[in-house]
Amino acid sequence: MIRLQNAGKGKEYVGTSNAFIIAQTVIYLAMYLTGIVPFIFLLLVAWCSARPLYPLPSRRNDRNKRPLQTFRPFNIAHRGSNGEIPEESAAAYMKAIEEGADFIETDILATKDGSLICFHDVNLDDTTDIVHHKEFANRKRTYEVQAVNITGYFTVDFTLEELKSLRLKQRYPFRDQQYNGMFSIITFEEFISIALDAPRVVGIYPEIKNPVFINQRVKWSGGKKYEDKFVETLKKYGYKGSYMSKEWLKQPAFIQSFAPTSLIYISNLTNLPKLFLIDDVNIPTQDTNQSYWEITSDNYLDFIKEYVVGIGPWKDNMVPVSGNYIETPSDFVARAHVQNLQVHPYTFRNENEFLHFNFSEDPYNEYDYWINKVGVDGLFTDFTGSLHQFQEWTSPFLSREEDAHKLLDKIALLISKFKHA
Amino acid sequence: MADGVISVEKIKAFWHSQVHDPDKWDLNKKLLRAVGLFAGSIVLMRQYEQPTKRKAHKGGAPPMASPSRSVFPFIFMLFLVGCSARSLYPLPSRRHNGNRQPLQTFRPYNIAHRGSNGEIPEETTAAYKKAIEEGTDFIETDILASKDGVLISFHDVILDDTTDIDEHPEFIDRKRTYEVQGLNRTGYFTVDFTLKELKSLRVKQRYPFRDQQYNGKFSIITFEEFISIALDANRVVGIYPEMKNPVFINQRVKWSGGKKFEDKFVETLKKYGYRGSYMSEQWLKRPAFIQSFAPTSLIHVSNQTDLPKILLIDDTTTPTQDTNQSYWEITSDKYLDFIKEYIVGIGPWKDTLVTASNNYLRKPTDLVARAHAHNLQVHPYTFRNENQFIHFNFSQDPYREFDYWLNEIGVDGLFTDFTGSLHQFQEWTSPLSTGERDANRLLDKIVFMISKFKLKKLV
Repeated sequence: MIRLQNAGKGKEYVGTSNAFIIAQTVIYLAMYLTGIVPFIFLLLVAWCSARPLYPLPSRRNDRNKRPLQTFRPFNIAHRGSNGEIPEESAAAYMKAIEEGADFIETDILATKDGSLICFHDVNLDDTTDIVHHKEFANRKRTYEVQAVNITGYFTVDFTLEELKSLRLKQRYPFRDQQYNGMFSIITFEEFISIALDAPRVVGIYPEIKNPVFINQRVKWSGGKKYEDKFVETLKKYGYKGSYMSKEWLKQPAFIQSFAPTSLIYISNLTNLPKLFLIDDVNIPTQDTNQSYWEITSDNYLDFIKEYVVGIGPWKDNMVPVSGNYIETPSDFVARAHVQNLQVHPYTFRNENEFLHFNFSEDPYNEYDYWINKVGVDGLFTDFTGSLHQFQEWTSPFLSREEDAHKLLDKIALLISKFKHA
Repeated sequence: MADGVISVEKIKAFWHSQVHDPDKWDLNKKLLRAVGLFAGSIVLMRQYEQPTKRKAHKGGAPPMASPSRSVFPFIFMLFLVGCSARSLYPLPSRRHNGNRQPLQTFRPYNIAHRGSNGEIPEETTAAYKKAIEEGTDFIETDILASKDGVLISFHDVILDDTTDIDEHPEFIDRKRTYEVQGLNRTGYFTVDFTLKELKSLRVKQRYPFRDQQYNGKFSIITFEEFISIALDANRVVGIYPEMKNPVFINQRVKWSGGKKFEDKFVETLKKYGYRGSYMSEQWLKRPAFIQSFAPTSLIHVSNQTDLPKILLIDDTTTPTQDTNQSYWEITSDKYLDFIKEYIVGIGPWKDTLVTASNNYLRKPTDLVARAHAHNLQVHPYTFRNENQFIHFNFSQDPYREFDYWLNEIGVDGLFTDFTGSLHQFQEWTSPLSTGERDANRLLDKIVFMISKFKLKKLV
């Protein structure tokens, strides 16, 4: 901050925005060239136009936001309410919050110029209108991702501005197509804003997605890696604190990844709770090339529990399926719980093609089974509204009564209905 | 004295209750038979005793004919029959001790459309039992007839889609083409097979995306077997049979005595004691709705039974099979005014009650409102859990669909393939609140509520 030489009294500066620095330079020049009167005039002009740093009314944190529920399993809106609205769009996340989700989940990838975006696939073909953009026709590539050759338009070959010119579409043909072409890809920061802007406390659940591939293709200045930028963004918005700490409950977050080394790496940077995702039985980890059987062994759980608070397996690996009927659950949940690890399986969907016959094509029966019989600690679902409804009907939030009259009324009602057995 | 204790009305009522109540009549028949046996045995024993008595009173009593030797075998046979015939006690499984959970009548009816056919092949014993287990209020069925005039539970006029008929080479020559409701249909028709032949077939699941594991396990059941399933339930479960394709059936099947399909239908219901107008005491003991797409059939049976009837309404493009009236005519105020003398409600196809476009429901039509204005119930069909049947407004969630129809449109009953889901929804949102019965648990609840009490800060 430059203090004015000719000023009689100390003046307080309210900010160091770029505009202000430019104004300062101009003032210096003006002062030098013309003398004090125009200088004072310019100073007044600069002052009146620079915005003082008060918080936006919508983000004042003295508001009494309803806290995160922690008494029943977490309702995790997988890619937002993507059963109804194209995945990972602002609208899908806002719908999820409206429908009662505890956490909104996203996958973080990177652009060519190093911006972190919310997007699931490494390529744009299945969920955007990229094929309608002739200006990008020459960007098609073939890369090896997790030992498989994939051909398409990769996010890492487009700048953020270019990606923002695309429009999202619904991935599954049997879901509502009416929002295709309406929404664009959002950044990690925009995703975080959606959570912070919610009228109640909503947690975030971002994934460090394909870190091996991203780090091969995208370089950041200062030798930073993808995982560093990821944590940086979280810290910038005040996400900190270990699981269930006071800070964490104000801004809850889980960091998830299929790559154990990424999780171990960032455990030095943040004590936010981390979740280790486990893929199908025939897919080894992308960074350490370990098999499913190795990473689900007791030995490994014993090791990884120092770094993670829980595991996120594919649900059909936890309870085997045959003839579209589920059979006896494996011992995985029990072993995880013994090591004090939470279990958040993925992914629950309402459509009958995803429901096993035991459940009579009823998604609520499936929720009932997983929450009450298997006893998981959280669920990734495409239909967060249905899960919320199930939880509200079967394990509602028993708010404490604060009005003496209302309490007495409730007790009177209970007594009047009493019928001695 | 007109106001005496014994009045003609009371005698009539007493007679009525003793003779027409199935339970009391069972008891009375038993008593009469016992009395008859007793009296008969007394008479025969006196016959048998005559010779010794005659000897005792010389010249006194006039001579009686001596009993022939044939009375001994007769008495012997009587004893035999008496000991082996089962006395008329009701089956232990059917003992009506009056403590069966009654039909719920405070919230819309849960009607298991063809049984729990979402899980088990439609209209089989297993599908109906599953439906009862899952909490349904009514089990629904379609009644057709076999070649020999037996009433069966079966939906299609042809056997092709839900049985293994094409795996039966012995019936290969039975394939026919008939006109049904103005359309030519080709296949194996139920009216061309006797009951015995139909019973040799096995039922399969209609939709390929539903569970196929029960295919080939169950056979077609008769109307009477269907009724037994309802009567055997351990709580009161209603029946909802349909007089299906009566025009076609009456063309193809003839009964003796000039009786028609509708007559046999009602006969069967009466045989099992189904009677009484809607919400009457008798009806609540054995609830039943009779449904049909054919108004003349419903009007015909209204002379024979006062059980409540429901007029089913097809798509907007399909006229009634008997009177050839269009959808618009039979849903007009004028027609509802006419038909309401005979029916208690209508059963429309749900997509005609609320128009849909692009798989989104738009505005409701006024049919429900007008039906209710005529004091007619509305029971739309059919609700299914699979996402291809659920409009996008409902986020592929069948419970949201139930919520919309029950709470926003306000219908009085729902035909559903997934009676378990509907029951669960109703139990969660409008439960049969019976109140706490255990004093300890009640006190626990109250203590819990008080412990969580936090006096609101007085600002």
